Amino acid sequence: MSREKLLEVKNLKTHFNTENGRVTAVDDVSFHVDKGEILGIVGESGCGKSVTSQSILRLFDEKYLVKYEGEVLFKGDIDLLKLSKSEMRHARGNEISMIFQDPLSSLNPVLTIGFQIAEALMLHEKITKEAAFEQAIEMLKLTGIPSPEKRVHDYPHQLSGGMRQRVMIAMSLACKPRLLIADEPTTALDVTIQSQILDLIEDINKRFDMGVIFITHDLGVVAGLCDRVVVMYLGQIVEEADILNLFENPMHPYTKGLIKSIPHMDGDRKEELHVISGTVPSLENVPVGCRFAERCQFADELCQSKMPDLRVVGEGQKVRCWHAEKIAEQEEAPVYVTS
Amino acid sequence: MKMYFLKRLLSLIPVLFIVSIVIFMIIHLTPGDPASLVLGEEATEEQIQAMRADMGLDLPILTQYFHWIGNALQGDLGTSYFMRQPVTEAIVSHLAPTISVAIIAGTISLLISIPIGILAATRRGTNTDRTVMGISLIGMSVPSFLLGLFLILLFGVKLRWLPVAGYQPITDGFFGHIKYLILPSIALGSMHAALIARMTRSSLLEVLNMNYIKTARSKGVHEYLIITRHTLRNAFLPILTVIGQTFGSLIAGAVVTETIFNIPGIGQLIINSVERRDYAVIQGVVLFVTCTYVLINLIVDLLYGVIDPRVRLNKK
Repeated sequence: MSREKLLEVKNLKTHFNTENGRVTAVDDVSFHVDKGEILGIVGESGCGKSVTSQSILRLFDEKYLVKYEGEVLFKGDIDLLKLSKSEMRHARGNEISMIFQDPLSSLNPVLTIGFQIAEALMLHEKITKEAAFEQAIEMLKLTGIPSPEKRVHDYPHQLSGGMRQRVMIAMSLACKPRLLIADEPTTALDVTIQSQILDLIEDINKRFDMGVIFITHDLGVVAGLCDRVVVMYLGQIVEEADILNLFENPMHPYTKGLIKSIPHMDGDRKEELHVISGTVPSLENVPVGCRFAERCQFADELCQSKMPDLRVVGEGQKVRCWHAEKIAEQEEAPVYVTS
Repeated sequence: MKMYFLKRLLSLIPVLFIVSIVIFMIIHLTPGDPASLVLGEEATEEQIQAMRADMGLDLPILTQYFHWIGNALQGDLGTSYFMRQPVTEAIVSHLAPTISVAIIAGTISLLISIPIGILAATRRGTNTDRTVMGISLIGMSVPSFLLGLFLILLFGVKLRWLPVAGYQPITDGFFGHIKYLILPSIALGSMHAALIARMTRSSLLEVLNMNYIKTARSKGVHEYLIITRHTLRNAFLPILTVIGQTFGSLIAGAVVTETIFNIPGIGQLIINSVERRDYAVIQGVVLFVTCTYVLINLIVDLLYGVIDPRVRLNKK
């Protein structure tokens, strides 16, 4: 089933100017999201997944800090990176919207939630405040907030964490965008609330046939939600695969490591959880060769000296590793399958 | 909100109590006997004793305190020996110039400082920002008496645009009134303006870094609305605190400017009273200024509740 591409990121690079010179936080990243698809972007902290998502909406301060390169094509032919400021504003919240990790700090504490939801409607659909509030109530209802007529007049501090994230989602959906970018939306929530929010996102994705980019560090979350996954490491994509292939046949040592690090409730509790040794190197000090080489048990001289390209290894699967096939042969150890 | 108001009001009682004790002690902690100081060196022992009785100084100290505070609560702050008029009356008659200067200085400093603070914050790192910060550093460093003298030299003596010193009541014409008070107001207000501008800038920069500003941007909100609607109200709490403090000190700071510009306000009243050892007036004025300060801070606290819904905690 081939679907229409909603967003296509081509060779995106995001550079920051820092005191120690220019740093490239997103380095030559390409991926696409189809209409109605949920794409997962996975990686550890500092791997560039949030920067990638915020680059799509150009949320960084372009005057002083950032330079973008590449293309971000929306609906086929609109390059978001080339839009003027006002065109970009029109796209934000209207065509593409975003929800963030910590709902408390992401909601303005001095404005009512009703106003914060209605604001996007008033901006993009040019409707009256009353009509916008009516719709805000509808959105709150849709996201499962009880007695929304009363809640619209509440301030963020009067709501619980899960409610706040529902408000964030209601806010991002207000203008019925074609693409939702969810940047670790469940990380700050406890587990029961987490699954409710995931269900809500999945429900909305189906109901409005909306594309979703779901950013997380938690592969367990990805397993139940996403159609396709992009794994990032230190500003680059190291593996891309559909959800089944990713868990059944992961090719990159980093992906394998991440999958092994998922805790299993049914497994042997005494077994120690797998840990990928070392930490993500600093962006100011990027290795010449494969960026994962330092932490990879299979790394050899080639890996240290030359960076592998992202290459196609199977249907819809790409990997950035010199030895992916060899490692797969060597490692006949069982691989976890999570459904 | 009502509970919050009530709580804040009740919390003033201990503050004012301590203040009243300190002020009452002025008369007992200053060296020498007030009665003999008032009467001068040639007074006889009998005259001094009579004076002490007259001033109530022969009574036990607690009785004196309750006597004084009881009267003060009824608006009677005693009688000035020098001016031969009730202290309350003396304060009221000196109040208008001081209030005028405070209002003009406050208005000027707010009108200048907040916009340039916003300007500096939105243009951070640019030359505009550096210029604003540089000027405000100078504004903060130059003491008001020095600035006052410079202003007199430039606008009063050299350019002859404005009167060098003096005062004209508002009843004799609004513009004449303003003309006399404009230089002292600038002298007094510049330091506050500098302080508020810096506070506005840093507070705004802090809020602009918040996640909810990113949320607003991701909704497609215009930069102008980001500042006015999403940032300013959040940034205003610390700014308001500084405004409250500076407004209070505008009244206290009048002592210096009123002396330089020869304005018959509260500041001059207290300076003269100190020279004359007119204890009742000193106590009265200090009590009055303290109460004003406390009152302004109360208003600031109440405004917190208006600006930030999180402060109105019990309204759930």
